[in-house]
Amino acid sequence: MLEVENVSFAYAESVALRDVSTRAEAGQLIALTGQNGSGKSTLLKVVARVVAPSHGEVRFEGRALVEWGGREYARNVGYLPQDPDATFSMRAIDIVVSGRAPFLTRFGWEGEGDFAAAAEALEMCDAGHLAARYLDEMSGGERKRVFLARVLAARPKLILLDEPLSALDAAHVQQFSRLLRHIVDRTGSTVIFASHELNWAAAYSDRVLVMRDGALAADLTPAEIMSPEIVRDLFGFDARTVSSGGRTWIVPEV
Amino acid sequence: MKPTTLNSQFSILNSILLLGLILLIVIAIAISVGSASLSWSELAHDETARAILLRIRAPRVVAAALAGAILAVAGLAFQTLLRNPLADPFILGVSGGAAAGAAVATALGWGKYPGLVQIIAFAGAAAATAAVFLLARRREHTDPTRLLLSGLVLNAFFSAVILIAFSFSTQTDLTAALRWMMGSLQGVTWFETLVLAAFLAAAMIVLAWMANDLRMLVFGEEDAKSRGVEVERVKLAGFLCGSLITGAAVSVTGVIGFVGLLVPHLVRLVWRRDFRVLLPLTALGGATLLVAADIVARVAIPAVELPIAALTALLGVPLFLSLLRRDA
Repeated sequence: MLEVENVSFAYAESVALRDVSTRAEAGQLIALTGQNGSGKSTLLKVVARVVAPSHGEVRFEGRALVEWGGREYARNVGYLPQDPDATFSMRAIDIVVSGRAPFLTRFGWEGEGDFAAAAEALEMCDAGHLAARYLDEMSGGERKRVFLARVLAARPKLILLDEPLSALDAAHVQQFSRLLRHIVDRTGSTVIFASHELNWAAAYSDRVLVMRDGALAADLTPAEIMSPEIVRDLFGFDARTVSSGGRTWIVPEV
Repeated sequence: MKPTTLNSQFSILNSILLLGLILLIVIAIAISVGSASLSWSELAHDETARAILLRIRAPRVVAAALAGAILAVAGLAFQTLLRNPLADPFILGVSGGAAAGAAVATALGWGKYPGLVQIIAFAGAAAATAAVFLLARRREHTDPTRLLLSGLVLNAFFSAVILIAFSFSTQTDLTAALRWMMGSLQGVTWFETLVLAAFLAAAMIVLAWMANDLRMLVFGEEDAKSRGVEVERVKLAGFLCGSLITGAAVSVTGVIGFVGLLVPHLVRLVWRRDFRVLLPLTALGGATLLVAADIVARVAIPAVELPIAALTALLGVPLFLSLLRRDA
């Protein structure tokens, strides 16, 4: 459904993406990992049409991104920025229903169907009870769930999440990782999420893409990435593997 | 869930009607009070009384409502575009540009040509907007921090221009200019009121046209872009809109501060909703505030008219401080 071909992107002074090529199929949960500044966020922004690539092409469902209308594309592809926030506090339900904006006509207001989709998205994110709460009355984890629900409210086929696990405590990281798996299994959408939580990324995803210096360094199965050599090579830290509960985990050396 | 959403739709319409009703009541009070008290029988028989009402008081009150709506809507637009609750036409230097233009025109003795000072003031506002926008624009991107800092620097420059212009002014011009700088609704004509109405109507249409895009900016520009909003185009149109109506308001009423900063805040305290809801409520709130302030300016002290800008500031400062505390 998604094809990224030889995509490069440069910010003012530095190259952020170098000749990245990959593809994604429907119904996959794909973890995008790599060190800070490796190009994860930029790759997601290119696919989300936040920035245009300086070289290369992205195709979604066989059509180049430039051929898609902005709102038409937004009805199919949802993007969650790294630190989602609102300048002015609003109720969760109003925030989530604003995710339906790409479906509205110019002077249109959300109808019952839009509110039903928003309520369903909140429920899926285990945040139905937050509907009438205001953003400034919520914890960091609750906010993340509300903003994820806002992305889901448009029922996109492709969901791009920039560091959804960052700034969450362990309990919420676990909850959120399970939630991502649940979304893919239940909706059949494709989710690509950037994360440097290697163990969590591998534990729940179908594929792990590893970025390094703006290039795609590896495209592995979750089992393949659980190797001290690969971790040292791609992430730059010494680690060993530990087996527990039928799974292999990466543990940093002290 | 459904009752909540239906209730809120219903209450938006009710809120607009309620604020509209309050505005009409305040306007009625404003027209009925003043230095000359007018009774119904006087109005029926006395030509002078009718002239006071129709040529002096009515245009003044309507102009106050329109200027208040304009300043509040401009403030809301700037706050939305810059994602900054402190953004306001005065902070951005737009009103400063208008005042500087007027001061220079007055110093050059152009006050004797009717309307010319206003036109130069309007040009000053437009120039200030262009300058603040160009200074803050970098590679098709407008950085909010740079924009606010540019406004700060421009305001300092305009203050210097105004001070120099004053030092060349004659005593009569100086009095006129001072009154103008303090903000005043005295002597507003029906023609000026019509100009304000036209600018406000045009701005409301443009902002309503973009309302579904503007409300997405609250979540950040990258988020809005990913949802198909043409962010740079919306920002350019929004800034032009906010600046032109501010220029129009300042060219008629002089510099009246705090309306653009306060009204959107107060409206948001009651209605914590998106831009589409805030736009009509802010316009009505701004109109009500300025008409009410004008009543106080005229009747608070007998035989003395207080400068309306000082009143809005006196009202604004404590409210704004409490808003700051609440935010912190």
